[in-house]
Amino acid sequence: MAGSAGGDRHRSRPGLVRAHLEAIATAARRLLEPPMTMPIPDYGDARVPGYRGVVLFDYDKCIGCSLCAQICPARAIKMYRVPGDKRLRPGYNVGRCIFCGLCTDICPTDALSESIVHDRVYDDVPSMDMDPVDWAVWSRRVLEEERKPGRPLLRARVDPERGLVYERVDAEGGPVAEEKGEER
Amino acid sequence: MTRLLLPGMEGRVLGERGGLRVVELYIGAQHPASGHMRLIVYLDGDMIVRVDPDIGYVHRTVEKLAETREYVRVISLVERMTIIDACNVTLPYVEAVERLLGVEAPPRARYLRTILCEINRVSSHLYGLGLGGIFLNHSTMYMWAFGDREVFVHLASLLTGSRLTHTYPVFGGVRRDLPQSFRDEFEKAKRYMLRRLREYDKVFFNNPVIRGRLEGVGVLPREKAVALGATGPNLRASGVRYDARMTGYAAYRDLGFEPVVGREGDALERVWVRLREIEASLELVERALRELPDGPFIDERYTRAVPPAVRHWLEKGRLKLPGGYVRLKTRPGEALGRGEMGRGEITYYLVSDGGMKPYRLRVVTPSARNVVLFDALARGHTLMDLPAVYGSIDYFPPEADR
Ligand code: SF4
Ligand code: SF4
Repeated sequence: MAGSAGGDRHRSRPGLVRAHLEAIATAARRLLEPPMTMPIPDYGDARVPGYRGVVLFDYDKCIGCSLCAQICPARAIKMYRVPGDKRLRPGYNVGRCIFCGLCTDICPTDALSESIVHDRVYDDVPSMDMDPVDWAVWSRRVLEEERKPGRPLLRARVDPERGLVYERVDAEGGPVAEEKGEER
Repeated sequence: MTRLLLPGMEGRVLGERGGLRVVELYIGAQHPASGHMRLIVYLDGDMIVRVDPDIGYVHRTVEKLAETREYVRVISLVERMTIIDACNVTLPYVEAVERLLGVEAPPRARYLRTILCEINRVSSHLYGLGLGGIFLNHSTMYMWAFGDREVFVHLASLLTGSRLTHTYPVFGGVRRDLPQSFRDEFEKAKRYMLRRLREYDKVFFNNPVIRGRLEGVGVLPREKAVALGATGPNLRASGVRYDARMTGYAAYRDLGFEPVVGREGDALERVWVRLREIEASLELVERALRELPDGPFIDERYTRAVPPAVRHWLEKGRLKLPGGYVRLKTRPGEALGRGEMGRGEITYYLVSDGGMKPYRLRVVTPSARNVVLFDALARGHTLMDLPAVYGSIDYFPPEADR
């Protein structure tokens, strides 16, 4: 444990010329290494397992208990009356959602789940505020996109030499065979 | 009075003294190096005679909003004070509420909280180092620190599913168990970071240009640090052996925590303390992972009431909450929550009237305590030293403004 007292910085101080050269050499050495950033938008981010993105809603599994609306810290979930349905159902304003995932934690059925997406584009502000039916339909679309991603996916992993490296994965998170080993 | 326009700054001439203009200079709130705040600097020639930090630009009434929300919903609210240090900022609140609820987190949860807190601390220090670097025009340090911070953001998202706002500690435990890949990923990250710290020393800390800008600048003597109520690495850099983690919350007592203490109290020493604390945090996480106890990650009291249909999630290491969790009632009374964030000690004072929402939640954040240092440290230095002082105290406006 580094519980040592301060001040030893002066003892370890290298000479002026050497310190300048070391600083330049250290920075120059990094120039030869590839960048650590993910090449977006050519590639998509496969995310870590269990990533908390937008919340998806399965209308058929919902029992209308309203717990999700009660726990939501951002008031992104509201209960709606749906014509032809006796119970109240949750609607979702994705613009308000902070992706905390507490609603999925408290849902007593598996009606709510997290997707790996959080960076979708919406036509306008009203389209971000969805009633229960819209939410369920939209959720199915997000799930489909998740299964059939429009661009190749990369997943980050820690590398002891380079910090983060990215490997190609398929939609299920398995490595992509033909390009296995090729890293960006 | 004459107006004065400088790049990114505005000022006015107050008068003349000894043939030199006395100038009042506004730095911010749109200045790239002011953060979400404004610094009003009074200059005699090029010498700073006074600094008035004009704070409050990102005040979001967190304390008042907390009174309108159920206890569990307040967790995500207080998190927003410092999203880059999310576990450290929420944990003392969660512990204060736990005290009033009469629950205690199981040992495994306490360790997992410590692990995330220390990972957050590393990210927070790297964030501060990066900004401190760019304040001195050292773009390399800025890019490196933010790039390497990504490694720890990645680790945190492995554990919690979220990059920044984890909402990880909840009353009675944590929200996710340790994922299988975590130990391996952390071990690699530790090796990487230790090597990088050596490079930081060469490129930044021992760089004569940086030494010239930081050494002997903004010296905070020990007595003054205590008198001003400075906290965190800024206090320890002045030679005070104090760290809220020494109170032994979460798993710190079991892990035998020892703070990093400096001596000189200048800007360079504050950077040194942060660099060494990154090492210490890596060490702590490693020890916590090694000694991680088995058992549940959330108190039985809450898992018992989880509907059988979704219990399978608990076995998979994911939290499921019982319906009553939203409407938790605490006993009437008061509780104090203390913890050490990346920037210093945070204190929550919670008053409950026995209802489902806090009656009053008072928060004192580390940056709110450190804001006095702007004036105390910059006086007598030149204007060019102000960014060095700012960078070295690692002030974070959203945290101070609440
Ligand atoms: S993830 Fe959080 S903010 Fe979003 S709907 Fe669920 S509870 Fe509300
Ligand atoms: S918590 Fe689940 S079951 Fe209850 S209303 Fe919300 S989605 Fe439906």
